[in-house]
Amino acid sequence: MKFLKVNMTSKNVSIEDVPQEYVGLGGRGLTSIMINNEVAPKCDPLGPENKLIFAPGTLTGTSLVNTSRISIGAKSPLTGGIKESNAGGTVGAALGKLGITAIIIEGAAPEGDLSNLIIDAGGNATLESAGDYKGMRTYALVEKLLQAYGEKNGVLCIGPAGEYQLSSASIQTSDVDGRPCRAAGRGGLGAVMGAKGIKAIVVSQQGKNADAINDPEAFKEAAKTFAKIIKENPFTGQMLGAVGTAGLVSAVNALGAFPSYNATKGVFDGWEKISGEAMAKTIQERGGQTTHLGCSQCIIHCSNEYVDKDGKYTTASLEYETIWSMGGMTGIDDLDIIAKLDYLADDIGLDTMNTGVAIGVAMDAGHKEFGDGQAAIEMMEEIAQGSELGKIIGNGPEAVGKHFNHHRIPVAKHQSIAAYDPRGMQGNGVTYATSPMGADHTAGNLVGAYLGGALNPTAAEGQVEASKKSQIAMASLDCTGLCLLAGTVLADPAANEALLKLINAKYGSRLGPDDVAAMGVRVLKAELDFNRKAGFTKEDDRLARFFYEEPLPPHDKVFLISDEELDKTFDF
Amino acid sequence: MKIRARLFGTLGQRFQDYNPDKGLAVEIPDGAKIKDLLVHLEISDADGVFVAVNNRVAEADQELNEGAVVQILQRASGG
Repeated sequence: MKFLKVNMTSKNVSIEDVPQEYVGLGGRGLTSIMINNEVAPKCDPLGPENKLIFAPGTLTGTSLVNTSRISIGAKSPLTGGIKESNAGGTVGAALGKLGITAIIIEGAAPEGDLSNLIIDAGGNATLESAGDYKGMRTYALVEKLLQAYGEKNGVLCIGPAGEYQLSSASIQTSDVDGRPCRAAGRGGLGAVMGAKGIKAIVVSQQGKNADAINDPEAFKEAAKTFAKIIKENPFTGQMLGAVGTAGLVSAVNALGAFPSYNATKGVFDGWEKISGEAMAKTIQERGGQTTHLGCSQCIIHCSNEYVDKDGKYTTASLEYETIWSMGGMTGIDDLDIIAKLDYLADDIGLDTMNTGVAIGVAMDAGHKEFGDGQAAIEMMEEIAQGSELGKIIGNGPEAVGKHFNHHRIPVAKHQSIAAYDPRGMQGNGVTYATSPMGADHTAGNLVGAYLGGALNPTAAEGQVEASKKSQIAMASLDCTGLCLLAGTVLADPAANEALLKLINAKYGSRLGPDDVAAMGVRVLKAELDFNRKAGFTKEDDRLARFFYEEPLPPHDKVFLISDEELDKTFDF
Repeated sequence: MKIRARLFGTLGQRFQDYNPDKGLAVEIPDGAKIKDLLVHLEISDADGVFVAVNNRVAEADQELNEGAVVQILQRASGG
């Protein structure tokens, strides 16, 4: 258990034991608690006072399946509050196997000075000049880095958007094929990395210094149980491998909650053309891969490789949220165009959601027609070039709305919503409004409850309580490094029991089920505390005005949850 | 009566030559409910499905009408 600290002002790199106050923390728990303890809440997110923290989960680097998530945290330049965004790929597991609990980037390099951080198989880290890589897009960058340092490395990196320090800039991570197609997209963390002066972090996947497991036999047994449950669950064991997360396109359209044409309709006219089923059929006919290993130690294989009409690689992996933001919100019903936009977002280093919604707002404002795929591609290229309009689009939907003086900006805490309209799924609206992260479906998504019939999606009753429970559960899950999709099996008590055994076997602890929920509460408390100190008030826990005023077809509902109810969400 | 069942996720793989664009043409007794259709297609609770009729989520006890287009979808989470 060690921290790798990198000061970009002094260029000093040091390794230290994890201080007692952070022992046992990982993932979002570590990033959020450390930011709340150590970052000045009112600091400039792009200044030297901010810290950028990369933390694999507590179970990452172990033999447990689907634990390759890496949490990345900082004060967000998009929301102005605390941010954790996590990604899959290979780097999380690589750091876990090196026994690195977190990389902490402090200070800031002088403007224009760019470095790569290289971490070898022994866990030794050095800063090297990245002058030759300046301005490079992520696919070319990662190809060159893997040529230079060897294929058995994972890479975290930024593209031009991060170097421009745009508020939608992502941090991309490489998948098992060495492609930078996984992203910690939300909150503009790529801009923080750019401001620090780091272009890429290259991490050896050959580490053999993972944290010791306190009870290896118990761990092995529980890991086997957990993997079996994932395999036998119809969603994680079958559906995700067949149609990926894009299977949600049909489901959420059936609920009438698929925000379309900049959130003016809840059913997309051409949804069957962009559904997971249509995507799988297209990929299959063209010889691509409908199911694919994207992240280390994954047994779900929700990933895919989308190919063009000639069978040539377009992107990996085409996901539900991207199909929505680049398709539903923009009115584009052509999967080839959506796949191209996904590739461009990864290559330029952009959050597909904040960027797709920004393009949707621009179209709604009359800048271009809905459905104009070529115009969307041109807008992406403007971002890459750093033109004036490109920087506005790259700063997200709110910047675009202000520029075009357009009122319909689907955000909460300045961050775009995800692919669930708060008027068609009221509880997801509660999550968007109250999450310390801003509008974020991964903070507490109730789609499973709606599709399972446990909760009426368009009624006000029960939504606040359901969102609260889900947000606590997600905050806890995000500490472990388990992917959200694998985490869906935790609805099964046997999976919950296995997870608890895994944590206890690793640390030699005797935690009970209440302690897992308590961890989620502890993380949320730290995040809420940071935001309060940064100047957030209850008035920030609201959705954009139009959600309360413009009914969404086909249910013709507005967002129904009162401010008083929203304010009860976190009563701790 | 005749209805059309459209299958999503992996459900279509259970029926040979299933055409996702057309769906399945199904003949069931007049007055049949959604749950009867699921039994007819040998789809059980364990398959984790939900049903929408004409693009609206429907309850298992809802009666079907002649010519209805019934979407049978697999429950999902996350994304």
